[in-house]
Amino acid sequence: MFEANMDEEWTAGYREPCVQCSAVDWGVSDEGRFYCRSCHNVIERTREVVDPTFTPGSSRVSTIGKGSRTKKTERGHQWNICEGFQFILKKQAEALIRLGVSPRLKDEVLCELWRLYLQKSGQAFTDRPLTSFRVNVRGLDSDSESAAEFSGRSVSDTDGETVASSTVLSNAGSSVDPPPCSGSSDAVSYLTAQQLRSSSLMTMRKTLALIHIALVWIREALTLSDLLRLVNEGHVPYVNAFEELPDEMKLEGKDHLIFKVETIPSHESVHKEAQALLHVLQLPPFPPISCQSLLHPALLSLRYLTELNLPDELHLWVCRLMEQAGLEDQTVHTVDPLTLYVLPRYGVQTAALIVVTMKAVFGVDDLTEWEFSGQTGNLFNLRRWYKLLQAALIRAQQNKEHDTARKQWRSKRDVSTSRNRKWVAVKKKRTAEQVQICFERLSSRPAGVERIGPSSFRFCWGDEDGADGPGLHHLTLDGVLTLKHGVLTPSHSTYWHPALQQCNYWRCRSHYLKFEPTLPRMFVWLLKLFSFLLDVKPASLYEEVLRVERRVFGSRTPWRKTETKTETKTKTKTKTKCRPKTKTKTRPETETRPETKTKTKTKCRPKTKTKTRPETETRPETKTAKTDR
Amino acid sequence: MMDDLERELGRFEDLKHEDDFSDDNSTRGSKRTKPRRMHAETPRETGFHQSTRICLEHIREALLHHRWQEAAEYMACYPQKLEDTATSQSEQYTELVWRLSTEILHQHPNSKLDDYNSIYERMKHSGIRHYLMICLEHSFHLLLNGHIENAKNQLSAAESWRYGKESGHVRQQQIVKLIQAYRSLLDYMIWCDKRFTHFDTDPSSISNADMHNYFRQASVNLKEILRNPGVWDPFILSYVEMLDFYEDYEEALNVLKNYAYDNTFPPNPNAHVYLYQYLKRHEAPERKLIKVLKILQVLVPSHELMLEYSSLLLQSERKKDTQKALEVVLEMLAFACWKSNLDAWKRLKDIIEKLQLEKNWKDVVSDKMAERKNWWPALHFTSFHFRTDSEENPELVEVKASLTKILCPDLTMKYSAGQESA
Repeated sequence: MFEANMDEEWTAGYREPCVQCSAVDWGVSDEGRFYCRSCHNVIERTREVVDPTFTPGSSRVSTIGKGSRTKKTERGHQWNICEGFQFILKKQAEALIRLGVSPRLKDEVLCELWRLYLQKSGQAFTDRPLTSFRVNVRGLDSDSESAAEFSGRSVSDTDGETVASSTVLSNAGSSVDPPPCSGSSDAVSYLTAQQLRSSSLMTMRKTLALIHIALVWIREALTLSDLLRLVNEGHVPYVNAFEELPDEMKLEGKDHLIFKVETIPSHESVHKEAQALLHVLQLPPFPPISCQSLLHPALLSLRYLTELNLPDELHLWVCRLMEQAGLEDQTVHTVDPLTLYVLPRYGVQTAALIVVTMKAVFGVDDLTEWEFSGQTGNLFNLRRWYKLLQAALIRAQQNKEHDTARKQWRSKRDVSTSRNRKWVAVKKKRTAEQVQICFERLSSRPAGVERIGPSSFRFCWGDEDGADGPGLHHLTLDGVLTLKHGVLTPSHSTYWHPALQQCNYWRCRSHYLKFEPTLPRMFVWLLKLFSFLLDVKPASLYEEVLRVERRVFGSRTPWRKTETKTETKTKTKTKTKCRPKTKTKTRPETETRPETKTKTKTKCRPKTKTKTRPETETRPETKTAKTDR
Repeated sequence: MMDDLERELGRFEDLKHEDDFSDDNSTRGSKRTKPRRMHAETPRETGFHQSTRICLEHIREALLHHRWQEAAEYMACYPQKLEDTATSQSEQYTELVWRLSTEILHQHPNSKLDDYNSIYERMKHSGIRHYLMICLEHSFHLLLNGHIENAKNQLSAAESWRYGKESGHVRQQQIVKLIQAYRSLLDYMIWCDKRFTHFDTDPSSISNADMHNYFRQASVNLKEILRNPGVWDPFILSYVEMLDFYEDYEEALNVLKNYAYDNTFPPNPNAHVYLYQYLKRHEAPERKLIKVLKILQVLVPSHELMLEYSSLLLQSERKKDTQKALEVVLEMLAFACWKSNLDAWKRLKDIIEKLQLEKNWKDVVSDKMAERKNWWPALHFTSFHFRTDSEENPELVEVKASLTKILCPDLTMKYSAGQESA
């Protein structure tokens, strides 16, 4: 035991991996020479030149004279987990600002949100801090009531100052002994507390949720899908974000459990997290999201139509439908504790609107849409569009899969949770690096995903090189529209939809998997297309489509709670029933179901609209948005 | 320090299934656990695990389609899996990386010996359980590229490798035996070189002593190893050759006899062949040779030595032997490889001719033919056979035609040219 300790002391400063076996586990032999305890390789104690292309057996170890035998391990700053997260949030916000997001994001919004969060979750700015048994949070700021008082201090100070200012949170050095190893001071309490109160403490996923809320607050045209894509492509630091922590903040031991990221959270989970955060923060009403805002479906749909190479004319119909569903009102989209206290999923909602519009215009029942696809000329041809999009989708999916396969997740820094494990971890890292280097040399292609410039679009349409196909935006929809009583209406007369009954949210999450085989293939394909675009599950998009349909058809016939399960069954049948009807084009017979009533309503609804009415509102917008892109 | 070792070892059971790769000598294997699926998709998979899983799928796909460049590109992205801390199967992934990398290196046009060395060295030391196996493979690779000295160094290093409890493991001991065997084989090869270069010039020089040194090194190991049941063909041959050279005939014969007759060894026709060849080389009496070949005949009735066997039997004075020779040749001819062999048919003719000197030869022949008469005509004596034989080997036709009536007196099909029209 004593001997081992002696060895530790002698070899403490020497952390080079063994030449033979890459282990970092040195002992001192009787002659005073260093040897590797793992493979018993005796070395001249040396300082090795770091050369990643080094291959064992082919190179000599160069010796340099003695340095001091024991090197004192440098101690970093004493810091709190919260500071770490603050730093990461700052880096993320800076990255977003570099990408073109309004600079208000960081100082005005995110900083405030962060302070509010710390206060509400009881981690700072409070009399009874959560993690008080190790760190005494008292000091000058403790009796503040609201975060508003801190608006003067921003996260965007220079690095040194940031750390200094954030140590306010920990009130460093007053009553706390220096920790045995450098690293954060409260990781252990953080982890145990995290297990106790799993919701309120900070996690890496919460950084994204917080940023998402901040982006919604400043009405930036970045949906959650966009944010996650930027994260996934590495434009916003998230995986191994702790690498960017300043040198004084050393990650040790348990800290890694908090900051290590092995997955990019899904759209659904981040949305849920943001929703929960919203309740914790108890924010005042958000700035209104009017139809001039880029997050509003009116403009967001235009972006998706462009992305999917759909004709611009369709935007008109999307807007009409939006009105019909009562979704053009800004109160539906603005988070307000009084009226709407859920965070809308702007992207998914807009996608659902487009899907419903396409169903109304083209049918999307595997029959109608193909019947209209015969025309040529300046008319939009759905068959052609489908072929183009299908090819592009398959290509994009393949590229995405290849990128997933090539993605590198491991940190360049040493990551190990305990001191004992460290030597094993360093060795494994070295081995992995060597193998990687060998094959990079062999294939003359570096590992990892090639960085591409950030883009809001996944597909590219037009005549340029590398485009996915010719643009169809200018084509008209005249082929599928007919003039009835002086009003343009879709040529086919019925609209199908699955049963629209509401079901227990908690009991049955999604019926998509159950219904998927019975749904029209074209509809399922549309769902898949959009869910690829937004990186959400098709099921959640399907639910959103149902929600929009409920708004369109169900608003006038209020849904009754007395509907039972047996009815659900019969109702699902109505879908298959009404599909052949589109062919015969007859009005539905006298059925007493409220649903069929809504069907007749849909038919007459576009008729009641004059074509000119929405134009006054939406046309100019359409133009401006088009010039934007 | 013990902790680290345990951690590196992982759980012991994990590696049980590696027996799938074990060599032919392994007699155990009854208790094999089914290998766990290492790369199945799980519902709560992390992004890291998803990446490595898909990457592995791409590598496998590329390997199956021989797209080596693509495989190498993906392989550069895969080693991060080695750093996975969330799995208890890290040894399996080490093995996976080792096998995938070497396979790609084997096939990729730009791979160099340095790459091999680097990969082998790294993988050797990243999991002690595969150390010996990789050493062996590494030395094979060096051998293939003509680096005999290097290969021998590798094997010598592996031979002296010890790792506490682990090197006492049965499986490791088996590999150690293999390593010793191959190291001795290399000693033998160096011995051979020296024999051809030096021996002629000066038989009693220092180099001769040097040569004897190699013999000693090799023989110590080989003698030990050849006692273990298994198929040791090349090792036996080299050992016997060396013993022969130093005129230790008795030991050589002992080794060969042991190899051929020890019941614990798996049945191995070559063992008998070697013994026969050795005896023949040393002009052993015919009876001994016949005895060896008799066993070989039971093991492999179609062996090429059966011709020699039949001729030996034919030369023998005893009546029984002639009949035995008849049986041997008849059995040979049932095999496709001998069916149209002129020598075999000639031998048959010789035997029949010798039999015909006796009175009851017809009984003997019909006795032997009794079990064959149903299918022999269809196998040998149809007009189709006649046509092909007369095209390829007219002499064979003559021999076969002369035997037709004797072997199958009540032949309905005809082995002649005349019946084609009939």
